Amino acid sequence: MIEIKDLHKSYKMGSNALHVLKGINFSVEEGELVAIMGSSGSGKSTLLNILGMLDELDEGSYTLDGVPIKNLNETKAAQYRNKFLGFIFQSFNLINYKSAAENVALPLYYQKVGRKERHDKALKYLEQVGLKQWSSHLPSELSGGQKQRVAIARAMAAEPKVLLADEPTGALDSKTSYEVMDLIQKINDAGNTILIVTHEPDIADMCKRIVHLKDGVIVEDKVIDQVRAQQYV
Amino acid sequence: MFDRDIWQEIIYSIKNNKLRTFLTGFSVGWGIFILVLLLASVNGMQNGFYLQFNDDATNSIFVRSGSTTKAYGGFEANRKIQFKNNDIDYIRKSFPEDLEYISARYYANTTARYKSETGSYSVQAVEPEYQIIEKTIVTDGRYININDLVSKAKVAVIGRKVKEDLFDTEDAIGKFVEFNGLPFRVIGIFTDDGDDNAERSIYAPLSTYQSIYGNTDYIDNIALTYNPNYDLTKALSFSNRLENLFKRRYKVSPEDQSGIRVWNYAEAFSDISSFTSVLNAIGIVVGLLILIAGIVGIGNIMVFTVKERTKEIGIRKALGAEPGQIIKLVILESVFITAMSGFIGLFFAWIILAIVGPNIQSPAFANPSVDFSTVFTATIILVVAGVFAGLIPAMKAANIKPIVALRDK
Ligand SMILES: Nc1ncnc2c1ncn2[C@@H]1O[C@H](COP(=O)(O)OP(=O)(O)OP(=O)(O)O)[C@@H](O)[C@H]1O
Ligand SMILES: [Mg+2]
Repeated sequence: MIEIKDLHKSYKMGSNALHVLKGINFSVEEGELVAIMGSSGSGKSTLLNILGMLDELDEGSYTLDGVPIKNLNETKAAQYRNKFLGFIFQSFNLINYKSAAENVALPLYYQKVGRKERHDKALKYLEQVGLKQWSSHLPSELSGGQKQRVAIARAMAAEPKVLLADEPTGALDSKTSYEVMDLIQKINDAGNTILIVTHEPDIADMCKRIVHLKDGVIVEDKVIDQVRAQQYV
Repeated sequence: MFDRDIWQEIIYSIKNNKLRTFLTGFSVGWGIFILVLLLASVNGMQNGFYLQFNDDATNSIFVRSGSTTKAYGGFEANRKIQFKNNDIDYIRKSFPEDLEYISARYYANTTARYKSETGSYSVQAVEPEYQIIEKTIVTDGRYININDLVSKAKVAVIGRKVKEDLFDTEDAIGKFVEFNGLPFRVIGIFTDDGDDNAERSIYAPLSTYQSIYGNTDYIDNIALTYNPNYDLTKALSFSNRLENLFKRRYKVSPEDQSGIRVWNYAEAFSDISSFTSVLNAIGIVVGLLILIAGIVGIGNIMVFTVKERTKEIGIRKALGAEPGQIIKLVILESVFITAMSGFIGLFFAWIILAIVGPNIQSPAFANPSVDFSTVFTATIILVVAGVFAGLIPAMKAANIKPIVALRDK
């Protein structure tokens, strides 16, 4: 599903450059649930942003579902993001004046899906994350866990190939974190490919594979026995 | 364009910036308000001018004579030029294509008496076609006709004021009035809207007056209209030919402006038209300058809006919004604010014109109004202005990098 070869990325800071990713080789198959770990500043978010086409790589190659991701203009990148990727952010990034359902429907709007169908699909995904009865509420009326579940529903709504989550539980307490992980596991059980950046070992343990970044390279990449979150909720 | 989601966002954005939107919108509304009032005022002046002129046919030419100021063709200066009846026939023969109607004029003053009422009036002794040239409206009876002219009939068409003075409410048609002691039969009464003085005069047959005053064939001047299909250029060419011909006929130097004068309404009209179009242009320029201030204001508010919504735009881009869609959103919002404010300005200007317009009673100013084309033009200007105001902020929005916008800080 994802294939990365010899990926390099540096940020220019005035006259000198900060070399963040120094040759990453990495691939993800369909249906995997991968945790990306590493200390702060190790380049986890940078990697995820490149995978998400929010940022560009300097060197190396990136292939997503057989499509080489290279030299995309803004419009093309937007279309690919919309079609291939779903994002889940630490701070949820819901649009505050739109109801839960409208937030979930937004990627579908950019796919030019009709209004009615958008709404129906949004309700369907809100139901999957257990928030159907909250569909007309604004984000400000929801708890952190609920917001993240709306964000997950939104990421799912466009039926992307890969879900990318940057510290999805970073702003949540542990109980809520487990609820969100339970949801993510279930989505993964249904066959979706998911990448999660996290600091927290217990969250990483709930994935099926852990990739460790250190100083811009992968120092460890292991398949693990998944801990089910269900038992903690 | 008529996407509900886009409108929902625009309304949200406006709601969140009520005061700012109002202040900048006000400047655009004000710009349009001033623009429309200026244009309407110019229009009012124009109407005023035309009303004053409209008394006469707009395709009329007057040929007048005076005394020469230059020696020419063997004659000394200071010679008095006197037109005669045969000048009329001469014009008819010389310009069959150009001429429409023609009449000689002979002026006199008279003391008119009916029973015990008397009054002093000016008399214009004319030919039948003069009615059309002067656009005289006969409300009672008839105008002078060819039979009156042939028989040198002592008949008169009197102005409404003359009738009121002499007859009061009594019926005047068919009655005899003494002009300097001679009995004239009243055959018609005419009006002239807007001009009381014109209604204090009397029309009589040319031949009658010529025979009363010394059996002459003298005439004071010549009034005529030219082919109504002529444009300004053709009209001017005709009046030039006429002038040259008459100067040759009476041996007046081509440079002599007072021996023979040909006065062309079209020329005067075009002078006024160019005057009012200059005023119009000034109005438009001033209005546009004010409008530009408003547009800059709206551009400003849009920059702020975009800045405040950076994160949201980043989220949208992450979810698949293309730059073009973001540009559309910003520009539509800008056009919406501009157009709404502009229409409010237009509406107030319209109300003021509707209230004030009919109450202005001045000969130089009549019926100030905005026509449909002004409104249409204003709308186009507003939409274009809105697009321009939104352009820079929209480009800014389109260039927002989602990764920068989404950084959690
Ligand atoms: N746009 C940028 N410009 C310059 N430097 C950047 C930029 N983005 C990230 N960096 C630097 O690159 C390095 C890696 O950042 P990155 O956000 O990928 O780390 P991370 O592993 O996600 O850390 P954390 O766990 O704190 O989120 C850091 O040193 C950061 O300061
Ligand atoms: Mg990070």
